[in-house]
Amino acid sequence: MEGEDGFDPTLLKKKKKKKTTFDLDAALGLDDAGKKEDPKDEASAVSTAAEVDDNLDLESFGKKKKKKKKPFNLDELEGALPDGADDATAAAAEDPEEEEINLDMDFTMAKKKKKSKKKDLDELFADKVDDDKSEDKENVEDNSSSWAGSDRDYTYDELLKRVFEIILDKNPDMAAGRKPKFVMRPPQVLRVGTKKTSFANFMDIAKTLHRLPKHLLDFLLAELGTSGSMDGNQQLIIKGRFQPKQIENVLRRYIKEYVTCHTCRSPETILQKDTRLFFLQCESCGSRCSVASIKSGFQAVTGKRAAIRAKTT
Amino acid sequence: MSIQNLNTRDPFADAIKGNDDDIQDGLVHIRIQQRNGRKTLTTVQGLSAEYDLKKIVRSCKKEFACNGTVIEHPEYGEVLQLQGDQRENICQWLTKVGLAKPDQLKVHGF
Repeated sequence: MEGEDGFDPTLLKKKKKKKTTFDLDAALGLDDAGKKEDPKDEASAVSTAAEVDDNLDLESFGKKKKKKKKPFNLDELEGALPDGADDATAAAAEDPEEEEINLDMDFTMAKKKKKSKKKDLDELFADKVDDDKSEDKENVEDNSSSWAGSDRDYTYDELLKRVFEIILDKNPDMAAGRKPKFVMRPPQVLRVGTKKTSFANFMDIAKTLHRLPKHLLDFLLAELGTSGSMDGNQQLIIKGRFQPKQIENVLRRYIKEYVTCHTCRSPETILQKDTRLFFLQCESCGSRCSVASIKSGFQAVTGKRAAIRAKTT
Repeated sequence: MSIQNLNTRDPFADAIKGNDDDIQDGLVHIRIQQRNGRKTLTTVQGLSAEYDLKKIVRSCKKEFACNGTVIEHPEYGEVLQLQGDQRENICQWLTKVGLAKPDQLKVHGF
C-alpha cells in the first residue's frame, strides 16, 4: 500500500506549500472528490478557465454568493461553513494561517472521501446546497432592504443572486436533482501474482455505467498505459500493479468524460458511434456532443528491447 | 482625434499577433508508465516542434534531478521521456516557464 500510492500524499503536500500560482488540479483533471474542493480557493486567487468546467454550476453560484456576503460578516460565515466551503472565504481573506488550517481540514476530508466513493460527494454537495440556502435567506433580507426604499440601480450580482434565489424557491428539488446519482460499488482490485492486477467486478461496473465493457476496457488500458485482457470468469487482468484507489481515479475520469452529460451532468446518457466518432446523447436534456476518442498515445519501451527485437524479426 | 468606430481595422491583426505570443496549439499529454518494481516513466507528448526539446529536457533533468531523453516518434513527433513520476513536476514547470497553459496539460494515468 505504502509503496504504490506514493503519488497522492506528496501531491497534497506540494500543493499546501505552493498553492497560489499553479492550478495543478485543473491540470490533473480533478480526479478525486477531495481535490474538487481545492480549485475553488485557488480560483479566487487565480482565475483559470479550466476550473469552470469542473465545478458544478451550483457550486460556482454558491461561491459567488459567498464572496459577496463576506464583507458584512466574515466571521459568522466561517463559523457557519465547517466544510471545504470556507476555503474560498479564507483564501480571499488572505490570512495565511487560517488558510493553512482550512487546508488541513480539507485534506482530512479528502482522505475520508476516498474510502467511500461518490456517495460522500453527494452528501457534500447536499451540505453545501443547504449552506447556500441558509445563507441566502439572510442575504435576501439584506438585499431586499437595500433595494426596497431607494430607486438606485441594482447591481448585476444582486440580480443574479435574486434569480437563483427564486429558482431554488420554486423548485426545491432541482438542487437535489443536480447531484450525480451514481451509487457505484467500489472496484474490487486484487493482485494476481506479483506483476498483474485483477479487476474483479469490471463487468458489473460496465453494466452500472451502461457502457460497453470493451469501451471501458480500452479507456482503462489506454489511460494506465498497459495491456490487459478479460479472463475466463469475466474479470479484467491488467498488467502492472495497481491499487483500488488508482483504478477508482481512472474510473472517475471515465465517468466524467463518457458517462455524465457535459451539459446537465445527468448520468442518463447513451454513447453512440457515428461516422467514427463517439457521441454522447443525453436522455434527460437531449443534448448531444462528441467525446474525445480513446488514444493511448506514445508508449515508451519498458520491456526488454531484446525481446521486442526477437519478436519483430 | 479620430473616431474609433471609423478606423479601419485589420481583422487578421489579432491572428498574426496571436500566433507568436501564444504558446501552444494542442494539448500536451503527460502520461505515466509502470516499469519493473516501483519504477515509473513519464512521457510528455504534444509539445510544439518549434521548441528545442533537447534544451527543454536538459533543464528538466536538472530541475527534477532525474534522467530523461527526447524520443523521435514517426506519428507523435518528438516526445520527452523522464525517469520517475514527474507528472506534477512537469506540469508545474511547463506552466512556470510558460510553455503551456494549465488547461492545455492533460495528465493521464492513475
